[in-house]
Amino acid sequence: MSRSHHTPAGPHPAPALSVRGTGLGEVTIGALTAGGCALLLFVNEDCPTPALAMRRLGPLGRAWQEAGLTATAVFEDPLEIAVRVTRRLGWTGQVASEDPPYETSRAYGLVSVPTAVLVDRAATIAGTVTGWDHAALVALIGQAGALLGTGLAVPEATEPLLKPGCSSKAAIDPELAAAMSAPVGTDGIEEMFERGWTDGLPVVPPTPERVEAMLGGCDPGVSLGLVPPDMGEATLERVAACAVLAGCRPAYFPVVVAAAQAALDPAFNLHGQAVTTQPAGQLVVVNGPVREAIGLNSGMGALGPGWRANLTIGRALRLLVTLTGGGMPGQLDRSTQGQMGKVGLCVAEDEEVSPWEPLHVERGFRPGQSVVTLIGSDAPLSISDHRSRSPEDLAWVLAWAAASQWSTNWWPLEEPSVFVICPEHAEMFRAAGWTKQQLRHFMFDAVHKPAAELRRGETTPFVHAAGPAAQVPKWASPEAIVLIVAGGEAGRYSAVLGPCTGMGSQIVSREVGSPWPLTT
Amino acid sequence: MAVDYVSPFDDRVRTPEPLAPRPASVSGRRVVLLDIRKNRGAEFLDRMETLLTAEGAITARSAKEIFSKPAALALIDEIAGRADLVVEALAD
Repeated sequence: MSRSHHTPAGPHPAPALSVRGTGLGEVTIGALTAGGCALLLFVNEDCPTPALAMRRLGPLGRAWQEAGLTATAVFEDPLEIAVRVTRRLGWTGQVASEDPPYETSRAYGLVSVPTAVLVDRAATIAGTVTGWDHAALVALIGQAGALLGTGLAVPEATEPLLKPGCSSKAAIDPELAAAMSAPVGTDGIEEMFERGWTDGLPVVPPTPERVEAMLGGCDPGVSLGLVPPDMGEATLERVAACAVLAGCRPAYFPVVVAAAQAALDPAFNLHGQAVTTQPAGQLVVVNGPVREAIGLNSGMGALGPGWRANLTIGRALRLLVTLTGGGMPGQLDRSTQGQMGKVGLCVAEDEEVSPWEPLHVERGFRPGQSVVTLIGSDAPLSISDHRSRSPEDLAWVLAWAAASQWSTNWWPLEEPSVFVICPEHAEMFRAAGWTKQQLRHFMFDAVHKPAAELRRGETTPFVHAAGPAAQVPKWASPEAIVLIVAGGEAGRYSAVLGPCTGMGSQIVSREVGSPWPLTT
Repeated sequence: MAVDYVSPFDDRVRTPEPLAPRPASVSGRRVVLLDIRKNRGAEFLDRMETLLTAEGAITARSAKEIFSKPAALALIDEIAGRADLVVEALAD
């Protein structure tokens, strides 16, 4: 630490600046004094005293600028850190940054930060204050006002009035200074890329503190099982690390855990989905009170983007598959083309708008339970229908949109097609009194073709075995049509997600947070 | 400044199983042809069986439950008990 003191003005020319600013133009003494005088406030991130100085002086910068005094915080840190710190502290002046070995600090003879240097119109140093010394700074600002011929606002005289600063990085060993200047805040994100702890997007570094907060009292050693394809063990600590990486808030963790439990059920066959050449994603459908509790969006833009809970819960599950499970794209994940849903896809059903029983109730849960349902699925296909005036026409349009799923002539599909019905479409069925089962059967009956029309290119053994005139349905049964409601109140766009095919993957549901926290 | 992070990876070191010794000849050897049940895999195995039989191998057929899941341990044990060699077919 260094004591604060005031150095009387001397007729020394202000040394040239070797710094970067936030704008396009070069930061020079000439530019900074063009409007009158310049106040250089040398600071760095590591010391609390510069933070105090920027907090106290920061709000005055704009008024000083108008009066002809340009205040600039000169950081002995990278520019991105300088920008972040000044934003947090409310600094309204200019921002500049110098790199090791801090030539500008050395040229100004800096011993400690903060150091305030007043430079006059003639580009000479008019005065210097080191440390936080309220009285000395008021005097310096008064000196600037005298040079400008105007009164300048000064900081309020609140405690502490005196606070020593810390060593300037220019005053310590250059190698140590360079090590100290490593941009920890931004390096963490880059380090995640270097480690391969990512899906290709920036992630939140899983520090022990963040992982502990994510666990929320759960036992980190509890295992949910082995994650295919490389059979990494899904301890809750690793699941929490994935949730942190994905950007989840701790409140989402029970949903992430339930999704992981469902995905690891052998009936879901995550192994096949994780390594297949298909574009197989894991669709997470959330029902029940937890939707509102954690801010899951089931309304406008329900399939994304825009909502943290939706995006990060789906992503956390995918990171568990790719990192803990080893299903890294291009390595064990052999998906030929992939699809953006493989980054993560989580949708909440709009149970309040739906005319029907929600998905989890269909699957045997109570309405008040919060439930996650996992479905192996392809990318969503949007279906526009603004013209149907009867439920029959609308159901026909929706159903036939799925006719080419998996492959044009691959009939019947054993696996589920997931229809996400928008509120306006749902309202048409509600007004006509259609039950969900009625709609499902109508759609099933609507889509069929004679086998002869399906015998081209890739088709099924079923089609080959059938007589030419035999009618082949698109789905093996009405139960392969999954119906949920979500989306904005305006716009007649529903969507359908095709299946992950030929793997025997079943739909799996798990209750959220039962029990919670998980300790065994 | 060094920062510790919580790894999402299972860092257990797993030793790979060494490859079994390769025979100089298949003549008189018991060879199980394992169909993973993917499209047209059986056609490939039919052809392999013809060639192996011509070389004097004693062939038998077996199949996984489904191509997209690992073979059941019971199936692996059963094949290991009755085969000297295994040919597993991919498909498409």
